[in-house]
Amino acid sequence: MNSSRPTGWIWGSAIVFLFAALVLPWIGSGSISMDRVLAKAAPDYPIFVELRVSRTLLGLLAGGALSLTGCLFQSMLRESLADPYTLGVSAGAALGAVSTIAFGLDRLWGFPAAWVGAMAGAAMVLVIVAGASWKQGKPSGVRLLLSGIALNGICFAFILLINSVVHDRRSFSITQWLLGSVDAVSYRALFAFAVVVLATSTIVITQARGWNLLAVGEMWAQSRGADLRRLTITGFCCGSVLTAGAIALTGPIGFVGLIVPHLVRSRISPDNRILMPCSLLLGGVLLASCDTIGRIVLAPADLPAGAVMALIGGPYLVWLVRRRF
Amino acid sequence: MSALLDVRTISYAYPGHPVLDSVDFSAESGEFVVLMGVNGAGKSTLLDILAGLRTQGSGEVLFQGRSLHSWPAKDRARRISHLPQGTRHELPFTVEQVVLMGRYAYADRWFESDEDHAYARDAMLRMDCLQFRHRLYSTLSGGEQQRVLLAACIAQCPALMLFDEPSTYLDVHQQLHCFSTLAELAREGALCIAVTHDLNLALAHCSRVLILDGGTLAADFDTQQAAASTEWLTRLSPHLRMTHTPEGKPWVLYR
Repeated sequence: MNSSRPTGWIWGSAIVFLFAALVLPWIGSGSISMDRVLAKAAPDYPIFVELRVSRTLLGLLAGGALSLTGCLFQSMLRESLADPYTLGVSAGAALGAVSTIAFGLDRLWGFPAAWVGAMAGAAMVLVIVAGASWKQGKPSGVRLLLSGIALNGICFAFILLINSVVHDRRSFSITQWLLGSVDAVSYRALFAFAVVVLATSTIVITQARGWNLLAVGEMWAQSRGADLRRLTITGFCCGSVLTAGAIALTGPIGFVGLIVPHLVRSRISPDNRILMPCSLLLGGVLLASCDTIGRIVLAPADLPAGAVMALIGGPYLVWLVRRRF
Repeated sequence: MSALLDVRTISYAYPGHPVLDSVDFSAESGEFVVLMGVNGAGKSTLLDILAGLRTQGSGEVLFQGRSLHSWPAKDRARRISHLPQGTRHELPFTVEQVVLMGRYAYADRWFESDEDHAYARDAMLRMDCLQFRHRLYSTLSGGEQQRVLLAACIAQCPALMLFDEPSTYLDVHQQLHCFSTLAELAREGALCIAVTHDLNLALAHCSRVLILDGGTLAADFDTQQAAASTEWLTRLSPHLRMTHTPEGKPWVLYR
């Protein structure tokens, strides 16, 4: 625990993030020549720019968004096992996005339909889970997790139902999307997502002192001068937007919102002023690294980043539960 | 000139269950008021209302002559601190981080200033928890945790301090230390209101006793009057008897 130079950890995480952004695109099943990339020569240049760089950037952004959301939910709900995946928010976002794919929707109100669907699904599940877990004016941890598990099951049942009744081609798209992978996306979509992550993260992180108070208790936060209503609304809205944005582009990827905040909290600082920016940066590094591992471990086959993350995150969750209960 | 705290005929009811009925009193800076009553008498509810955490059904609470709910949240937090009952034991923060939370309403920067740290240090020193400031809160005993929460309330530097059972979990020495610190804060000019069930601790340190019974304020004495009267004891239990120590101080015995 470093209390004398706490911002050093943020700068350190930023350096790791930059290092990952610069190095990971060069790692993959086939080697890429820097000279050919600089000369814009095919096939190295298009593979590097259109596949590797965009995948790495998506991994960095989506991992950061999911990890930050994990921190946010853990503080708001005072439950260290809360993250978009365990709370069912990822599944809700997935159901929303799958519905738009099934109906063949491309854009809604000028936005990509999968984003709108994911956003609606995430918000809906979050409201249901929070409502179901509320007891005597506060969320109960066990009810929260059990409600999340129940909603996860319900959402995936609907996804299977939709998948079984849609056209074969759409069914294939849905199955591919559900694998949870960091595939190449257009730079336009990446830019839009980057703007969403930057804006939402800024809103969340600038209120880190409020999340610290909320992590102790609602009465505690109120009597220290926090605006509870504003914090709660901000937290649920920003959490939904970050999760929905990430899930819409990558499919449902679990554990990143659990592993990174927990490690940063225990190894660096539990203070959200440090925890949140470090988790944002290192969560991105973890997901982008998982995608890179997936690219090389069974090359030339591509193992989805969601599968790599689950292979790391699953045992970690078991270890965490054993320590806690 | 209005009192620091003016509670005007407030009532409060949970759904289908009235708790407070026309509670009316005022208190000034420098007083150490102890609020007593049997379980479910509405003590914690009253304290929550005074802290602005609940809104009374009827009546009005004025703080420094102004309606409590008209104070912006941070302005109110600079003037009123509240120690709730039953705070979580598994906080991920260090002791120092918890105490510095008391400075939330003052700090206008990303990290607390040297002045904030000085206030937090002084509060930890007062509550005898400076020695474990770098330890994780969750690794402390219940009594040590309670001292940390009290220190956070003190670091808030308020004019009105509300404590819901501040001596919970504390050992005998720390109970005495806690109540003498609260009395000292009152002598320094703060208004302290504490809920407690420890009659002797209360009579030894406070300046005024309020008894809540059946949702109403059944007794409102200064300590001398409380020591001279015995009627109010029956509102707490029929098994209590007032005596005095050889030094002439009031002492409540259990029959």
